[in-house]
Amino acid sequence: MMKRISALALITYKEGIRNRSLFGILAFALFVLGLNIAVAGFFMREVGKVTVDMNLSALTFSGLLLVFFVALNLMAKDIDKKTIQLVFSKPISRAEYIIGKYLGIQVFILVSLSVLFTMSTATVFLVKNIYPGYFSGFSWSAFFIASFFVFLKLAVLSAILVFFSTITTSSFACLIFTVCVYLVGETLEDVIFYIKSGFRTEDISEALQGFIDIISYVFPNFSLFDFKLEAAHGLAVAPTRLGFGLFYGVLYIFIILSFACLFFQRREFH
Amino acid sequence: MRSKRLSIILLLVVLIGVHIFLSRNMWQHRAEVRQTTKAGYVLPSKYSRVLAVGNKGLLADFLFLKTTTFYGERVVHKQNLSEEDWEYVLSGLESVTDLDPYFQDPYIFAEGILTWGVGKIDEANQFLKKGMKYRTHDWRLPYYLGFNHFYFKKDLPKGADYLMQASRLPNSPNFLPKLAARLGYYGDRAKTAILFLKGMILETQDEGVRKFLLKRQTALERASWIEEQIVKFKAEQFRPPANLGELVIFGYVDLFPEDPYGGQWMIMPNGRVFSTSKFVEPQRKKDQDTNPERKK
Repeated sequence: MMKRISALALITYKEGIRNRSLFGILAFALFVLGLNIAVAGFFMREVGKVTVDMNLSALTFSGLLLVFFVALNLMAKDIDKKTIQLVFSKPISRAEYIIGKYLGIQVFILVSLSVLFTMSTATVFLVKNIYPGYFSGFSWSAFFIASFFVFLKLAVLSAILVFFSTITTSSFACLIFTVCVYLVGETLEDVIFYIKSGFRTEDISEALQGFIDIISYVFPNFSLFDFKLEAAHGLAVAPTRLGFGLFYGVLYIFIILSFACLFFQRREFH
Repeated sequence: MRSKRLSIILLLVVLIGVHIFLSRNMWQHRAEVRQTTKAGYVLPSKYSRVLAVGNKGLLADFLFLKTTTFYGERVVHKQNLSEEDWEYVLSGLESVTDLDPYFQDPYIFAEGILTWGVGKIDEANQFLKKGMKYRTHDWRLPYYLGFNHFYFKKDLPKGADYLMQASRLPNSPNFLPKLAARLGYYGDRAKTAILFLKGMILETQDEGVRKFLLKRQTALERASWIEEQIVKFKAEQFRPPANLGELVIFGYVDLFPEDPYGGQWMIMPNGRVFSTSKFVEPQRKKDQDTNPERKK
């Protein structure tokens, strides 16, 4: 079984690497990192903080482009072009197909993100050498941790993309659903805490409160993977927070992929 | 075929020429528009933090850059900031510090622009206190708070308290305990202010701000020197001088040093030496006079 899954993952990875939009994403990342070097000098003291902010945001945004465009293409192409019939003519189960595809996408994202991360590290190193006196609070370990959690967030998001590709018939609908989940996941925490805080002027109805409670369990809370602030200021992160984030992310991936396998079993291809 | 290609190239040359001409005009037009445009609206942080979709730090950087550029443009074109402009700058800094409360630059920027000649001391203090909640390791914030209480609010005990707080924080300069003691026991404003300014100059890397502080230091040093001559006069003549001219008549001063801001020295009712320039540049003085807060 592992042999079949790894073979499918390898094909998916190769297919992803060959995708030409990868060059566009790399060019975008290069542009942002170059912009970082130019813009860093506009700030008074916290050049290090601005550099880390820009690098981590560039990493996140490039990663999102990878998931929304390249990973989506990898997932939907087989179904859109009906080549999936060919795959299923081989001795491979539907669950193996989903897991193989997901792992292939993960390897592709990991490799692409590693390239972007190397570029990003080089930029930080360069700006740190240009403005050595303005990186007092900077910590490489905090920067690495934040970058790793960017990858974990993309891993959760690509699991969601795989899930939607099993229940939708069009890749565009899959993209829209995944983007929506991403936006909800990113804003969920702020919205929930705002509602619970005393700042709001109007009372929230019980029905809405119940709906928000359900949403808080169904959608992933991406704020759990956000360590940009800590990386920007070199703040210490409690190991429990890291462990909790890691466990939450891995568990969510397993649950969502299980659902994807379940729905994909029942799917009919005409 | 060849003539067709030639005509396309010619058309392109003409279009590019027109484009360059229009672009040059466009930038001039935009510069005029930006100077005359009223301050914009800053979205409160409770909304912008949601819209930042996980990039609160980056949004804080962008908003800070926007706020400093807006202020810088007004200063460069020697335009006085209206109350609406100040509202924009303050709400911009508020949003930036809400999005990233650990960001040091907005607190330092607020201290720099809201105090000297503007009189928004309470607002500056609010920002510094907010920063102290998060940047618990940063001695600069209580140091500036101490200075504001001492110099602008004239609350010497509180100023001394903040300085003592600053002196206990890591990497704080070793002159801070001495400064706090001086503030607490003597409250000698001119000399204490000079010590404060020396500390600030040591910390300042920006050439423009450094020049500004050095000029102020010179003014205070000169005022302090005249005050010393008044003390000598009092000790020997058993009365304070009626005016500064008496210092020359009795031989305590040959020639008064020049006020670097171009004003005339005078003795205040409380016996301290000050200048008609109020130690502000002519442009800023006009700004100060129109400021209702300072009129009070």
